Amino acid sequence: MIACHGIGKSYGHFQVLHDVNLTVAEGECFALLGPNGAGKTTLLKILATLERPSTGHYEILGMHGLKDKDAIRANLMFLAHGTHLYDELNAKENLAFALALRGQHPTDLEVKQALDRVAIGAFTDMKVRYYSAGMKKRLALAKAMLAKPKILLLDEPFTALDTAGTDILREYVRERLSENGTVLLSTHDYDKTRPIAGRAGILRHGALEEIAVEALMSDDLV
Amino acid sequence: MTSFNVIRWIVWKDFVTELRSRETISSMVFFALIVILIFSFSFSMDQQAAREVIAGIMWVAFAFTGIIGLGKSFSSELQNDCLEALQMVPEAKGAIYLGKVAANFAFMFLVEILLFPMFVILFNLEVVEGISILLLIFFLATLGLSAIGTLFSALTVQIRAREVMLPILLLPLVVPVMIAAVEATKGALNGDPLAMYEQWLKLLAVYDVVFTVVSFWMFEFVMDS
Repeated sequence: MIACHGIGKSYGHFQVLHDVNLTVAEGECFALLGPNGAGKTTLLKILATLERPSTGHYEILGMHGLKDKDAIRANLMFLAHGTHLYDELNAKENLAFALALRGQHPTDLEVKQALDRVAIGAFTDMKVRYYSAGMKKRLALAKAMLAKPKILLLDEPFTALDTAGTDILREYVRERLSENGTVLLSTHDYDKTRPIAGRAGILRHGALEEIAVEALMSDDLV
Repeated sequence: MTSFNVIRWIVWKDFVTELRSRETISSMVFFALIVILIFSFSFSMDQQAAREVIAGIMWVAFAFTGIIGLGKSFSSELQNDCLEALQMVPEAKGAIYLGKVAANFAFMFLVEILLFPMFVILFNLEVVEGISILLLIFFLATLGLSAIGTLFSALTVQIRAREVMLPILLLPLVVPVMIAAVEATKGALNGDPLAMYEQWLKLLAVYDVVFTVVSFWMFEFVMDS
């Protein structure tokens, strides 16, 4: 579960987030909308323990965001704009490295199944340098599948994914939700988000306003 | 045990990426070769004169070569925002630091071992008797450089002018290492008894311990800031 209490963030005089209050329960997917520069990525980075809020505090799985960082990190996966992949390593090596740093050591079979599931099983020995943006996104998704985090933060997850990739991602999100995971995603792609989001909110001028998921059909939201 | 695994995986990753890209070591070797050649053609020295100045030339070349490697150590993590993934590692960040120090030390030490024969040939040195003590000096001084250099590489990686800031911040702090390494190397090349330059080796060892411990402790703050 994620709980934000009056989160604010400013860079110098520029206020990015202002008094954001948000609760996302276990088994729930919350879609975070907003125009470019609204602060969606900043909020996700704060929750991923990569940035400190200027004001307010947050809890993840009941743990204090500023005091229990390592415990939170062990239960959280952040799929960001950058894919966190090393170009000189191949898919298997990237997965082995990333998961080993989390203290996880999946078997060869598990790795193969994850790579097959994201449909890049035929490219496992190819250096990531030669992957397309969509393939990198799929590999990052495979990493999340193997990590099985309780909290999943997704920043513009549909970017660079084709229709099949989008389906794989949505299926994985549903799986996490069915296992009582918590998913928070930022997006501009309302059509792709609507089938998986239980709740939604829009960030405007750094403040969060909750909206009905049905409103995700509306084109004039942002 | 988990921390040891993190160290092992960081070293493995840095070695594999370097073996495949050959970016760091090749640029270090190329730079050092140019420095050695410039010095060897600039000075015409007999063996005695060479022994007096070669230690200084050698450590200037090694230090600047090392800075090239140290700069790449964390700047390579900016690709695909991999630094964020390292920041999110649930383990104590000290393990990442030690892994990076080990990899940086290995790259720098390897380059020094590759380049030392060039110094011997171009400056006509006789070092057969003192080779083991020279290796010890290289080991201690390189460990000191990589211990403090790895911390500053992480500290400057997000700064726009990091290529300039790293040497500006790092070089004043490694002055003790440079002085001790030059003096000890000079003693070893001259064939002096160990007792005459032993204090410089002790200084290097103390520096290594102090700066490894301090940097290990500070690394978590650097990564979280």
